[in-house]
Amino acid sequence: MQVVQTDIVIVGGGGAGLRAAIAAAECDPKLRISLISKVVPMRSHTVAAEGGSAGVVQSCDSLDSHFHDTVAGGDWLCEQPVVDYFIASCTREMVQLEHWGCPWSRQEDGSINVRNFGGMTTARTWFAADKTGFHILHTLFQTSMKYPSIQRFDEFFCLDLIVDDGRCQGIVAIEIATGEFFRFEAHVVIFATGGAGRIYPCNTNAGISTGDGMGIALRHGVALRDMEFVQYHPTALAGSGLLITEGCRGEGGFLYNKDGYRYLQDYGLGPVDPSPRPKAMELGPRDKLSQAFWHEDRLGRTLDTPLGSVVHLDLRHLGRIRLHERLPMICEMAETFLGIDPAEAPIPVRPAVHYTMGGICTDGNTATSLPGFFAVGECSSVGIHGANRLGSNSLAEIVVFGKVAGEQAAQAARTSRGIDTRAVAHHAESSMEAALALFEHDSDQRIVDLRKAMQAAMEEGVGIYRTEEGMSATCRILDELVETNRRVHLDDKNRVFNTEWLTAIELGFTLDVARTMAYSAIQRKESRGAHQRLDRYEQRDDTNFLKHSLAYAVADAPPRIEYQEVVITKLPPAERVYGGQAKSQLQGE
Amino acid sequence: MTQQEINIEVLRYNPEKDSEPSYETFQVPFSHETSVLQGLQFIKDQLDGSLTFRWSCRMEICGSCGMMINGVPHLTCSAFLRDYYPGKLRIEPLSHLPIERDLAVDQTDFLQKLESIQPYIIPKETRSLEDGPFKQTPAQRERFYQFSECINCLLCYAACPQYGLDSGFLGPAAMALLHRYNSDSRDAGQAERMPIVNAQEGVWGCTLVGYCSEVCPKGVDPASAVNRNKVSSTLDYFFRFMAPRGASE
Amino acid sequence: MAARRPYVRPMAGWWRRNPFYIFYMLRESTAVFVALYALQLLYGLYMLSIGEAAFDTWLASLQHPLYLVFHTVALAAALLHAFTWFNVAPKAMPVLYLGTRRVADRTIVWVQFLFFFVISAAMIGLALGG
Repeated sequence: MQVVQTDIVIVGGGGAGLRAAIAAAECDPKLRISLISKVVPMRSHTVAAEGGSAGVVQSCDSLDSHFHDTVAGGDWLCEQPVVDYFIASCTREMVQLEHWGCPWSRQEDGSINVRNFGGMTTARTWFAADKTGFHILHTLFQTSMKYPSIQRFDEFFCLDLIVDDGRCQGIVAIEIATGEFFRFEAHVVIFATGGAGRIYPCNTNAGISTGDGMGIALRHGVALRDMEFVQYHPTALAGSGLLITEGCRGEGGFLYNKDGYRYLQDYGLGPVDPSPRPKAMELGPRDKLSQAFWHEDRLGRTLDTPLGSVVHLDLRHLGRIRLHERLPMICEMAETFLGIDPAEAPIPVRPAVHYTMGGICTDGNTATSLPGFFAVGECSSVGIHGANRLGSNSLAEIVVFGKVAGEQAAQAARTSRGIDTRAVAHHAESSMEAALALFEHDSDQRIVDLRKAMQAAMEEGVGIYRTEEGMSATCRILDELVETNRRVHLDDKNRVFNTEWLTAIELGFTLDVARTMAYSAIQRKESRGAHQRLDRYEQRDDTNFLKHSLAYAVADAPPRIEYQEVVITKLPPAERVYGGQAKSQLQGE
Repeated sequence: MTQQEINIEVLRYNPEKDSEPSYETFQVPFSHETSVLQGLQFIKDQLDGSLTFRWSCRMEICGSCGMMINGVPHLTCSAFLRDYYPGKLRIEPLSHLPIERDLAVDQTDFLQKLESIQPYIIPKETRSLEDGPFKQTPAQRERFYQFSECINCLLCYAACPQYGLDSGFLGPAAMALLHRYNSDSRDAGQAERMPIVNAQEGVWGCTLVGYCSEVCPKGVDPASAVNRNKVSSTLDYFFRFMAPRGASE
Repeated sequence: MAARRPYVRPMAGWWRRNPFYIFYMLRESTAVFVALYALQLLYGLYMLSIGEAAFDTWLASLQHPLYLVFHTVALAAALLHAFTWFNVAPKAMPVLYLGTRRVADRTIVWVQFLFFFVISAAMIGLALGG
């Protein structure tokens, strides 16, 4: 096993990991920073974010308004002091990206342009056409090359954390190109490993979003918080789940059912305006829109296609020129994947799993309960999204908290108590043996069958709407799959670039994370945000469940679920209102 | 949905066993929307788990899944099996790049080149975050935006015979990104980047085959970036030649 | 222990692998004919400098069928050479703006062709009229 001695290990080369690396390097150029990523950083899933990133910038806007939208959007399951810090820091980080070269779309006078987004009171979403994540990622990746203290380990697969003496002291990784094991000895580890959307069959996520970091953290006794809250994005392509940005609706797109009726007005999101007012109709929050689709589908008012039922996202009235200026990638995708021109025909869309609101439980400084171990970005739960994330808050999150994580890690690295090299080597050996044991299995259990069974069970039991019966069936199936997975078969017995081996390891993480979702969900006996039940618990229950769920791993058993109080400082729980009422509520304040 | 079958011939190379690559054919069922990538995934899932290739986003933006399809560089997520039926497909790793295993190539050379061009803003003026964003009009943004759309998929390197003949050549994508920063109204790094442009392995390694722009999935047109820099390289040489030693800044 | 052993494919015969490359090689090879034609013109100039008789001999020699074939091929090559370079010219020049609107590549190509035909017509007219 090769050994790399370093100060800070960052796992994940997406927006959060890169921002953390830059922040740490700027804090102290003498720190050795190792950036480990299972893909070359510019392939990370940040690249696929489209619509934009929030940051209050207009004179008519206010931090309070963004705060209110975020907390109400999250159905009050947000850590309000953390949201407060987040909101106050967004714009500064957007400006930082601008200084680093991010090609934000502009107004005629050269100042930043912003667009409307779902659940936001006014336009505050910075955008770079409809490739915002792509531009943010490439800007950060290319800027990171300025800092000699950031050493990249591209296409290294993080296998495990090394924990000894009650604190984190490094990681074990596999160099994909050779199949060799590496032990990174470090004072601090930051996980920025992204989400876990691949747990579901129809999702907008990249193949790499398999919840690895969450799975690893869970195994070391760190809690996964609020895992039952899984976001369905209302507009994705049927079958593939490819994302059609909320920016389409931000620019004025309409959603129609099969009767050509703007059905959202039937779900408390009206009135119907010729171009939707903020927080109404198509500019409602994602959870409400996906739930509305579910109802329309049950009522038989969606359109049938060979790939499943859909509704129509109509952009024709925006005109070709505006579409090509504001939504060029959507036009390209519609052409490539559907053979249609959005200026001429509506885009068939349906909800698909998009985002994991929950994740590795951290405090507002991105620190976990394990000393020396931080988590940031979608893999983490820093507490700003609550039960439903608003679009354009996650790109802002990765840079705002990426910076925090980098700075906190730099500070922690300076005060570290040192590394116990012998103990670390011992832990690394056992992780390596566990990974190599996968080659020894002898069964005919193919990875794909396990994955498909998991995905089907999750969609069936832990989808947009949930029941006790469905969730307990899913829990049973997942428990069985975890057992079966211990014997999964590999065709490929080589070490060099063995992606099948890595997929099998990923599946182990994914299954553990799926279990935390299902078990957290079944025990939340209320409906809130993205967790909606149909069995006696259709209402929000603040008396019993204004609490975060915490899922802990238990050896050879399903996860244990505990609860944590939500910190509420400014905005006491109230009813979430959208559509026409939202306006009057704001005016009443 | 009607299911048909198509033959996919794949170049295989296992460095632990093979001295050189060879082809293997698989029969793959497909429907109207099956991408070439999904065809490969079917092979890996159902027929041979050892088939090795990169992929991730499935939507033409991460740049992972470029391969040669019947000799033409293409992203496999946005090529469809129906378009090759009833013929067969021959899938190979991207040309001109060393093969790590099967369809996965070695990308490290490009990453080093990217690093060498200083792909970040070298600011004209020091500006603090409190000063807010730079002003940049849509027209100023337009001058570099196209080149910032490069997804680093390396199709252009697979299209460039000059790179295949001499991998020292900086190549299309790295040159496009160099040009992207030089053309940005916020950047003042052109002088620092000029030695890279002027070098034998900079723009002058290009003979304007032009195929890089043809295969680019994002309309970046790297050939134009390279050849516009031939003009600036010539002017740069001319002025340095004309100006007395030490007179230029 | 396993190790990397990247395989580098040979480049021999690369230009026959793709129609695009074949055309590129054809485009490049046209330069040979253009050069030969130029040499031949230079030789004519040299004969002119010797005297009228020498020049007339040279002119007469151009009537030889082999020369006619050469001229036909050289003309075709020169035309292909010109047309292909017209097509790539927008890639090789700084971006042109009319006001704030960028001049399309297509427009640049057409303007070159326009000049080409106008000037050619003028030259032919001059030659025949003279």
